[in-house]
Amino acid sequence: MRSLLRAAFSAPLVLALALGLNGCGGHEARTLRMRTALDEGSPKAAIAAINEELEVKDSTELPKEVVGDNALLVLDRASVQQSVLAFDLSKKDFQAADKAIDMLDLSKSSLDAIGTWIFSDSAGKYVAPPHEKLLINALNILNYLETGDLSGAKVEARRLSVMTRYLHDVMKETDNGMLALGGLLAGFAFEKSGETDEALRYYDEALAFGAYPSLGPAVKDLLSRGNYTTPRLKALAEGQPETKPEDAELGDVLIVMGHGRVPHKISERLPIGLALTFAAGHIHPGDVAAANKLALQGLVTWVNFPVLAPGQGAYSTPVAQLDGRYVELSQVVDISSEVRRAWERIKGQVIASAITRCIARFAAGSAIGAVGSAAGGKNGDIIGTLLSLGTQAALTAADTPDTRSWETLPARIVFARMRLPAGRHTISLSARGWSRRQEIDVQKGGFKVVSLMALN
Amino acid sequence: MLRSIRNVALFSSLAVLAVSQVACGGREVVRGSQEPGIDNAAMSTGIDKEDIQRMLHENLNNLRAAPIMNQWRTQNPQATVAIFPFANTTSEHIDSQLDAILSETESWLIDSQVVKLISRERQNAMIAEVEGGRSGVFNQASVAKYGRQLGVKYYVTGKVQAADERTEDARRIQYFMFMQVIEVETSAILWQHKAYVTKMVR
Repeated sequence: MRSLLRAAFSAPLVLALALGLNGCGGHEARTLRMRTALDEGSPKAAIAAINEELEVKDSTELPKEVVGDNALLVLDRASVQQSVLAFDLSKKDFQAADKAIDMLDLSKSSLDAIGTWIFSDSAGKYVAPPHEKLLINALNILNYLETGDLSGAKVEARRLSVMTRYLHDVMKETDNGMLALGGLLAGFAFEKSGETDEALRYYDEALAFGAYPSLGPAVKDLLSRGNYTTPRLKALAEGQPETKPEDAELGDVLIVMGHGRVPHKISERLPIGLALTFAAGHIHPGDVAAANKLALQGLVTWVNFPVLAPGQGAYSTPVAQLDGRYVELSQVVDISSEVRRAWERIKGQVIASAITRCIARFAAGSAIGAVGSAAGGKNGDIIGTLLSLGTQAALTAADTPDTRSWETLPARIVFARMRLPAGRHTISLSARGWSRRQEIDVQKGGFKVVSLMALN
Repeated sequence: MLRSIRNVALFSSLAVLAVSQVACGGREVVRGSQEPGIDNAAMSTGIDKEDIQRMLHENLNNLRAAPIMNQWRTQNPQATVAIFPFANTTSEHIDSQLDAILSETESWLIDSQVVKLISRERQNAMIAEVEGGRSGVFNQASVAKYGRQLGVKYYVTGKVQAADERTEDARRIQYFMFMQVIEVETSAILWQHKAYVTKMVR
């Protein structure tokens, strides 16, 4: 009898252990070293940690396959490369990740499909919430602007427009705050390329999310030359001083600063009864009955799902100085809020999906238990029950929620725009203990973009 | 009895293992000369060798029969021509492919032996000089100025535009490649032709 029990228990238990040891800590476990390094103010150590996870020898290499978890790690590396001013490497990583990551469309996705994306599927294609997909292009525009490559910046702006159009037309989402950053940077790229109407169109998109007074002189100048106009653009241009002939001697400087880090996802286990309360509005009545039955069973009735960890650094004050004078910075986007908002929209469905999977585990356990009961003779019921519970335990251990998200996004992004006399200037940026001091040579009619991403 | 329970346990373990494991496989590297069809498959929505050849073939065949080409054939001394980078107004980073288009066009013009072509190195130096410290990067708006500085009478240039659309499960890009011959002095377009290529990922 003892050997029977041992046999009934051992296989699922060994399996559960094997799955646990097989790296089922989820994405958050893989990125722990990276986050710790960033918290310690060592972005280069963070890059080294990512490279180790990607199994590449250095940052110039992409993994053999940019799919699943790897695509997201490449995206994390792109952000950190941007923070260490390695803009060319950052561009390459953003582009690779952009092609590998699709956008999560809740308007079309069934609960089952959401479950597939959110649970135990970290080897599959990562499907990003809209704010992440939009930020890939927006932050890559910044890389191209930093390196003075307007053509590349415009390519990213067009890619952003394709996604924006999809977001508007198919997903019916028009209030995504990331469009403010995208519009601001894309507008700058087109303005500096001499494409006036395109620039105005992008600036108008940005103005839907905020006033941005420092854009005023540029918008007034563009309106005087272009055909595109909207009430928002006109309102911003009103009251701006008239353009003087000596303005032609000036150059433009754009400062972009990110600080803090958005909340990342962590795994949480809830008793099924509590999960049912959270997901009441999203779960099928039949599943509620099955879940209640499970709750009454009183054992191995945990629901696994991802939750958001606290963010950090969103309320710090970044500082920018130009030639020793403080520069007024305007917030362009609060990414942490958007991350929370996106999560709130999906949370009920995620828990509902977790409950459905829990019920599926129960069904699998019951089926195996029934086979055990039939095969166990006079001890069949005990063996069947043990096999059922063992299988459920093994499947619960294997059911690791997908904690994937773009973890190296700054919590907030601020900007400033100035017109400066041609010549040499010094820009000093600092946030959360990270700093950048940059000597710039501003040309007449030229531009410079200087950024700092303090990702701690 | 013991055996049957062990079998059940083993079965349950294998079933769970089967759904939790991801298959892995090695990747094969192949050589084009050993697999002639290697260039046929579309790998992405970008522009590949097949697309470049198709669009260039169409455009350059048209140029071969164009009046400006006949004029160049009869001109003595040969007309001096520069080739300036094509503008990329698409949503794809195809700059290296555009460079390839430029080089292919350059080779075609040299092979035609009807014009004197200015070297790209000299052009780049001139671009840096014209753009000065502003950016030193080629600026489509300044091509006439480059042409005058280089002392060329004509320049060949072009642009690639695209209509990029996505649906729930597909993304399609329609490329339009325009090529032009422009007279530096008057900025008159003496020849222009277009070719199309469509790529889709679904």
